[in-house]
Amino acid sequence: MDANRLATARLFQRFGFGPRPGEFSAALNSGFTNTRTNLLTPPSFDYGAQRVPEPAVTDLGRRPEPNDPLNPIFSANMREQNKALAVWWLDRMALSDHALTERMTWFWHGHWATAIDKLNYALPMYVQNQTLRKHALGNFREMSLAMVKDGALQFWLDGQENTSRAPNENLARELMELFILGVNRYTEDDVKELARALTGYQVVRSSGAVTFNFRRHDPNLKTVLGKTTPFDADTATNYLVDQSNCQLFISERLWYRFISSQEALPKSSPVYASFSQRSIASTVSALSDFDVLSNSKYSIVKSPVEWFIASCRALSITPSQLNNRNQLLNFLTKLAQVPFSPPSVGGWPTDEAWLSSASAQFRFSFATWLIKQGDTSPIANLPRNQRVDAIADWLGIAEVSDRTKFAMQDAAADPRRLTLLALCSPEFIVSA
Amino acid sequence: MTSGVALGAAFPLLSLQDIAQAAIDRPLPANTPILVAITLYGGNDGLNTLIPYTDSLYFSSRPDISYPAEKLLQLDSSLALNPSMTGIKSLWDEKKVAIIRGVGYPKPDRSHFSSMAKWQTGNPLTHVSTGWLGRWIDTQATDPMLAISLGSVLPPLLAGAKKSGSALPLGGLVIPTGQLAADCAKLSTVSSSDSKLMAMAANTMKNLFNISDSISPILKKNVPGSSVELPTINGGNAGGDTNLSQQLDIVAKLIDAGAPTRVWSVSLGGFDTHANEANAQAALLGVVSDSVSRFMTQLKSTSRSRDVVVMIYSEFGRRVVGNASQGTDHGTSGPMFIIGDNIKGGFYGDQPSLSKLVDGDLAVTTDFRSVYATILEKVLKAPPERILNGWKKKVPFYKAV
Repeated sequence: MDANRLATARLFQRFGFGPRPGEFSAALNSGFTNTRTNLLTPPSFDYGAQRVPEPAVTDLGRRPEPNDPLNPIFSANMREQNKALAVWWLDRMALSDHALTERMTWFWHGHWATAIDKLNYALPMYVQNQTLRKHALGNFREMSLAMVKDGALQFWLDGQENTSRAPNENLARELMELFILGVNRYTEDDVKELARALTGYQVVRSSGAVTFNFRRHDPNLKTVLGKTTPFDADTATNYLVDQSNCQLFISERLWYRFISSQEALPKSSPVYASFSQRSIASTVSALSDFDVLSNSKYSIVKSPVEWFIASCRALSITPSQLNNRNQLLNFLTKLAQVPFSPPSVGGWPTDEAWLSSASAQFRFSFATWLIKQGDTSPIANLPRNQRVDAIADWLGIAEVSDRTKFAMQDAAADPRRLTLLALCSPEFIVSA
Repeated sequence: MTSGVALGAAFPLLSLQDIAQAAIDRPLPANTPILVAITLYGGNDGLNTLIPYTDSLYFSSRPDISYPAEKLLQLDSSLALNPSMTGIKSLWDEKKVAIIRGVGYPKPDRSHFSSMAKWQTGNPLTHVSTGWLGRWIDTQATDPMLAISLGSVLPPLLAGAKKSGSALPLGGLVIPTGQLAADCAKLSTVSSSDSKLMAMAANTMKNLFNISDSISPILKKNVPGSSVELPTINGGNAGGDTNLSQQLDIVAKLIDAGAPTRVWSVSLGGFDTHANEANAQAALLGVVSDSVSRFMTQLKSTSRSRDVVVMIYSEFGRRVVGNASQGTDHGTSGPMFIIGDNIKGGFYGDQPSLSKLVDGDLAVTTDFRSVYATILEKVLKAPPERILNGWKKKVPFYKAV
């Protein structure tokens, strides 16, 4: 396989959501280095993202009593806001000029995996999403300090119930296991002590507003990972981020999601060192190195949302304009991935988990539905005998196999059928 | 660690049609034992499931979330079931329920993912990537119908080193026909230039066709009952499905049809009750109890009723002492339930004492490997030592046949 095509295709697939029509051929012309700089550097103004209006998400306040006649209206508003929020983010992913920002926000959403299902209110999830976007390519320390006081995360992991009188360990445990250090890099006593350090926060569920109540906080000494001091949320989070295990863990998590969940990050990789200052942008830069991206070992399956957004970008579809929104969310539910609803605090699975006969079937129905509403002119406007060859550059595929070309030859007369085969081909489902 | 999804081995996803077709082509031989594993995700509070209702320490340790003795379903002079478990209580009265008390493993791990991994791999000592049932699958002839998990992802439980179980996603699938079927068939041949994952993507498209008219009667057959709606409550962030009774309805239907499947895996999530536990857990246990009792009733009208063994477990129990949120944090051991016509009803293993806690947690009195060993030997007819790394102990809950 052509190493330059492979590395360039991966730049678009891994550090964005796939190219828009014409972008991949233009990138091949300007070369890998320029393309990489281009995709990794945020523009001064993102006109694409600006086209997406902020979601109509408001503080709905407390739920009325069960027998209150306003209760059904409240529930309807809640459902409406939750759907609007999910579709708003899909729009941003599909329309942003700087796709990397959305891609990173998406990664961090799966990392600090918080599901709306327990909270039920959209506003705190929206606030969390803004926090993740703000720090998406920034400093992991700043992000961690902000997230530990994030209302949605606090509520999701029972932080608002964590008091000096009876500490609740949920947030403390996941902070070490899943968010900052990695499993088994601490003891059970560390979990208990860290829980005490995190006591005192209270959350307004409907808004996500977090307040600190000193009377619920445990101001005494705590011993975490061998250090004894009157830790609080800030000092404890800073201390966790200082640990060398944080550098290992976050480097490996980024590698796992962006490069390969099958092949481990090589021990000698410069990716580790790139995270020494906890700069996320530096590590993303190290991950997008040509030698890494041109190594054919590192293929990865597009998750359902990634596959869907890549299709939207190719077909110039705005998700919120699809007819209709419920059907869209239904397809994503069938494929087991809806933004703001990760299956657990561990986030979404990878690779094989997305490959199944059942998901293949759902993907065919989903793609058929999308293509009817999308723009296939990048191939439809070509003479019939040039269409199959144009597919790879249109969709940013490194190499289309003879198998898939053979399947597509028969469909060349019908641009929609041809596009359906392309979107459901192994070469498009998998980032080679 | 990511969520509870098998990594490594690829697994086939089946459609209902695939299984129904297999039930016609090659039904399970009569009198073959069948295991139905029910995983409760989130850490079920064992102490509020099987309740030591005469122990004053129970009430004083968790005043906010203990149940008044008169509401409980008494099993003997010291233990009772949660008030919501009336269905399982009836099965207990019929002597079909074995309750193994204080089940766990050495050095309890309080991480959901690590602890569930230990339970599902059946190896609490070192990290392995295969499930204990997956290793059993490895010893059997290759058959994608042998072990089936309901849901669209495969739990590590059914992942073997060389083979794995299959997953059956819930919800209707439309089989491609006509031109689309022909197109899919072309896309589903593996190409020499495919990466491993691309080849896998191609393979998963293969099973999309081949549906015969003879299976529609099986698929259309009614399962009695209605769907159970779960409340949106605390404890929902540690994985698992929400529609246990729907899952068991499908299992009952396919067992009745003769599916050549010896292991079924279903799940219920939501047991991570750090806050406001009493109502939430009672609702969930009610779903478990009602679903299981309905499932057993459905099986009565089939020829497979005596063959089925149900096993219920969770990744850990919870702390004895309640927290300030009317909930409990992650703990250690808990009871396992084994249910079936061939089960010798009663208690097994010692009830962990509330006056002899280990680091504030319940002691482990039975290792889960002893339970697995019994199931492997009696239900799955396989030598347990090979699958459980030499483990020899068993629990005598299975009737001698």
